[in-house]
Amino acid sequence: TSNTDYPWILNHDHSKQKEIADWLTMEIKDFVAYISPNRQEIEIRNKTISKIRAAVRELWPDADLQVFGSYATDLYLPGSDIDCVVNSKGRDKENRNSLYSLASFLKSKELATRVEVIAKARVPIIKFVEPQSQIHIDVSFERINGLEAARLIREWLEETPGLRELVLIVKQFLHSRRLNNVHTGGLGGFSIICLVYSFLHLHPRVVSDEIDPLDNLGVLLIDFFELYGKNFGYDDVGLTVQDGHAAYIAKYDWRDLQSGRSPFTLAIQDPGDPSNNISRGSFNLRDIKKSFAGAFDLLTNRCFELDMATFKDRLGKSILGNVIKYRGKLR
Amino acid sequence: QCPQKWKRVFCTLCNSKKHSRDRCPSIWRVYLLKDDSKNLKEKVLPMHKLYCYNCGGKGHFGDDCTGRRSSRVPNDDGSAFSGDNLSTNLK
Repeated sequence: TSNTDYPWILNHDHSKQKEIADWLTMEIKDFVAYISPNRQEIEIRNKTISKIRAAVRELWPDADLQVFGSYATDLYLPGSDIDCVVNSKGRDKENRNSLYSLASFLKSKELATRVEVIAKARVPIIKFVEPQSQIHIDVSFERINGLEAARLIREWLEETPGLRELVLIVKQFLHSRRLNNVHTGGLGGFSIICLVYSFLHLHPRVVSDEIDPLDNLGVLLIDFFELYGKNFGYDDVGLTVQDGHAAYIAKYDWRDLQSGRSPFTLAIQDPGDPSNNISRGSFNLRDIKKSFAGAFDLLTNRCFELDMATFKDRLGKSILGNVIKYRGKLR
Repeated sequence: QCPQKWKRVFCTLCNSKKHSRDRCPSIWRVYLLKDDSKNLKEKVLPMHKLYCYNCGGKGHFGDDCTGRRSSRVPNDDGSAFSGDNLSTNLK
């Protein structure tokens, strides 16, 4: 394999590391730095949002547009959509007329192309592409749970070293397997964050305060895929985070989890609403678990292979490349 | 007829009979400990923070659960979530 297949390893060779786990830790940091947006990309995104916010205020002076989701938590991959919500004082904008008037207003201001109004969904949204930046934007109306979740996730990121890095790797991994879309039974962004947060806070070496996760991202990534790909008792155990305290609960004790279907489902208690399971849409758990187990096998096999190889054969090699299959534009 | 004779698997790194030396988890399961490892002797494991991935119960790790295994994928070599995966004085 040539270097260009895995652009994040260019000029970042770690093949001389004594411990293979340290090599993987460094490659994870290189990949995260590589996919993180540069200053120019951040400015383009901020400018685009400001323009749309100004337009919303022009149309409805009592309303404001805010961002939530991966954009607000700095956990987005290149090319992902920006999620926005319009909230107003009267809280009356969640009707079909409002959706269509905002859509046509943005079109007339040349701020939106390829506009889709999805009025009949559980959460009605407008989807469009801002023509100048070509950024995809979703706008929903009169909801604050997304904003609250984003605030909570920003708190978690601050208190949990390693959370951002592992979430970005797992997101990219699931994206490459098309298992990150809730509409097709995959894992949503908030569910991924909860899985990693819970894993990090319950890991024996972290609980005992023996390690700094940032120095151990490589072995922790393998431990993550091992836990959720091979060992986690999905039939019997659910995840919960209340007041920043990660824990497991027996599904048997979680009454709101009326499982009419198979018990083999992922259950993650919504930190904002204990009666809600935020991963109830991820019906394709079988493939998700299989893919995690596959990632564990790929990573450990690669570690065994490179551990045996000569330094000459290790030069310029990637541990992560075959697992995360990043196919982005060169940055 | 299989030309391969039955080989006894044995790991010279960790004495396990479940894998050979070139596939020993100890090759990759290596943790870089915090600098204050001298203070490690004073560290106590907060038992109330341990949870079991197998039964959801408190006070033990999933590998050490005495209940029926929930996942149908085998765990021959042991995982990170085991009392064995701790420094000696915390085990």
